[in-house]
Amino acid sequence: MADLAPPVRPVPASERWLAAYVGLIVLFLALPVLIVVPLAFSSDVSLTFPPRGVSLRWFSNIWARPEFLSAFGLSAAVAVVATAISMVAGVLAAIAFVRHAFPGRDALLMLFMTPLVFPAIVLAAALALVMTPLGLLRSFWGLALAHVVLTLPYILRTAVATLTEIDRSYAEAAHTLGADRWQAFRHVTLPMLRPGLLAGATFALIISFDEFTVSMFLVGPGVMTLPLEMYNYSEFTLDPTLAAISTVLLVLTSIAILVIEKLVGLGKQFGG
Amino acid sequence: MAASSQPSSDAVGVDLRAVRKWYGPVQAVRDVSLAIRPGEIVSLLGPSGCGKTTTLRMIAGLEHPDAGEIRIGGALVNAVAPWKRNIGMVFQNYALFPHMSVAENVAFGLAMRREGRAAIDAKVAAAMAQVRLAPLADRRPSQLSGGQRQRVALARAIVTRPSVLLLDEPLAALDRKLREQMQVEIKQLQREVGITTVFVTHDQEEALTLSDRIVVMEEGRVVQTGTPSEVYERPRSRFVSDFIGFTNAVRGRVEAVEAGTATVAMGSGQTIRVPAEADIAPAQAVDLVVRPEKVEVDPPEAARPGRTLIAGTLRHSVYTGAVTYHHVDIGGGETLIAMTPNGDGHAGPPALGSPVTLGVRPENMLVFARAG
Repeated sequence: MADLAPPVRPVPASERWLAAYVGLIVLFLALPVLIVVPLAFSSDVSLTFPPRGVSLRWFSNIWARPEFLSAFGLSAAVAVVATAISMVAGVLAAIAFVRHAFPGRDALLMLFMTPLVFPAIVLAAALALVMTPLGLLRSFWGLALAHVVLTLPYILRTAVATLTEIDRSYAEAAHTLGADRWQAFRHVTLPMLRPGLLAGATFALIISFDEFTVSMFLVGPGVMTLPLEMYNYSEFTLDPTLAAISTVLLVLTSIAILVIEKLVGLGKQFGG
Repeated sequence: MAASSQPSSDAVGVDLRAVRKWYGPVQAVRDVSLAIRPGEIVSLLGPSGCGKTTTLRMIAGLEHPDAGEIRIGGALVNAVAPWKRNIGMVFQNYALFPHMSVAENVAFGLAMRREGRAAIDAKVAAAMAQVRLAPLADRRPSQLSGGQRQRVALARAIVTRPSVLLLDEPLAALDRKLREQMQVEIKQLQREVGITTVFVTHDQEEALTLSDRIVVMEEGRVVQTGTPSEVYERPRSRFVSDFIGFTNAVRGRVEAVEAGTATVAMGSGQTIRVPAEADIAPAQAVDLVVRPEKVEVDPPEAARPGRTLIAGTLRHSVYTGAVTYHHVDIGGGETLIAMTPNGDGHAGPPALGSPVTLGVRPENMLVFARAG
């Protein structure tokens, strides 16, 4: 992130080894993702690398299959709705956790965080069991609420961390200047929370959009998320269509991250 | 020195009656009663944990008293939210809103009062000029120096024309020189605006400089209230005399009391006669307390009339520019420090090791019963 020019000096051997080692790790992490891109433009019917020719047929295949588009739409809608609910709940919860002392506060905060550490499959089964009697199984709202459970910890954690850093004297100063609780929150606390919240929301959107295990138990005909639609497709056909979809997602995600980075400096939110 | 500020016509008083505040089992404020007059500038002075900040925050409405009454302009405000009290407050860390410009910070209170754009602009400009910050209107607080932030916080607090201005250790974060400059500025501003002001400080010098009256607090209680000179010259306890200014304290034992005068024997066996309060009784262990500048140092043959005299030996003299401190051994393991100004008319000090006589006007020697 820092664009300070390093001083010119001879690089010791140990640092060159370190650079090579780091380079290898980066390559290892990025390689599978990067292989997806050339495959998406392949003219082959099967997934072979390196591709023998270039074509855009797999991208047009996405358009030709309405189930991908509707799954994309559903995933996006679920992600936005779940993130929005998590934001409201997360900020309110963070205010309670940070600004007020009450019995069982630490235990409750831990409970909110458990979806981060519990095996997803346990949560998936549990949610399916709860949703069934509620009639929410295989429904948009069932899926969205399940995603709230999954995304809330990310929002709550960044909101708690950001709010802890905001001295309560700011809100108090607003009060002494005539702002009631809502005005102080709206004009002072919330703007100061914004960078942390945007970072949390970015995470929440990605987590929700990407979610597989829990969604698998809750989806059904007409309510299908993109990752599951892709998985279903791969069971019958393993052609570069999946690579093409992945490439589109890669580009969209990168744009989103860049925009948010420009707006608030995402790196700062994660100690970068 | 104790000249009162000119109250503006709409200045109001602040009254606290038997106010108490607990934090769990700890009683932070114990039966504090205060009557702050309209337009007056009063400081709450004491060490950390004496309840001064809690008292200020209760006047602001940021804390709620567990018992007692708080009145602003005669109206009971115990149940009134801070945003309805029409107060201005400067916080120790200033609490300037970091996402707003200086001008937006100053305009905040006016915006909350739903004033019109034009009125806000005019009042903000006037307040900024008053604290000499007009050129910095578009800066962010993070781009300002400590003294500038202080001024923004002051401008923000007074621009709404509050009934009461509350300052919580407003100068603690500034370096000494800037602090002294800001003390003068705050006092001037307070007189111009004529606003009833309460400020909290642990710095006795700041309290002496800024206040019409000082309220000295200790362990949640008010231990003395008075003008700066009253509190400095006539402290009512060892605590107050120690907390405000430097003071000498010499142990003694009361030998006799008659007609408001006590005869006290010091460790060396010397006895002196001092005016005594009613709580001083024969055989009591006491502290004799005197300010260094009230002690005169003379050769024994030049002892001045009408003084309480103590014989001693000059051990060393510390020259500090404007004044010199003379450390005088008065026997019995006790030392008294005398301060003499280094003006032209003063004779040089007696030679080190030579016998001297210390002279104190009887009314300047205070006697406090020793605890325990």
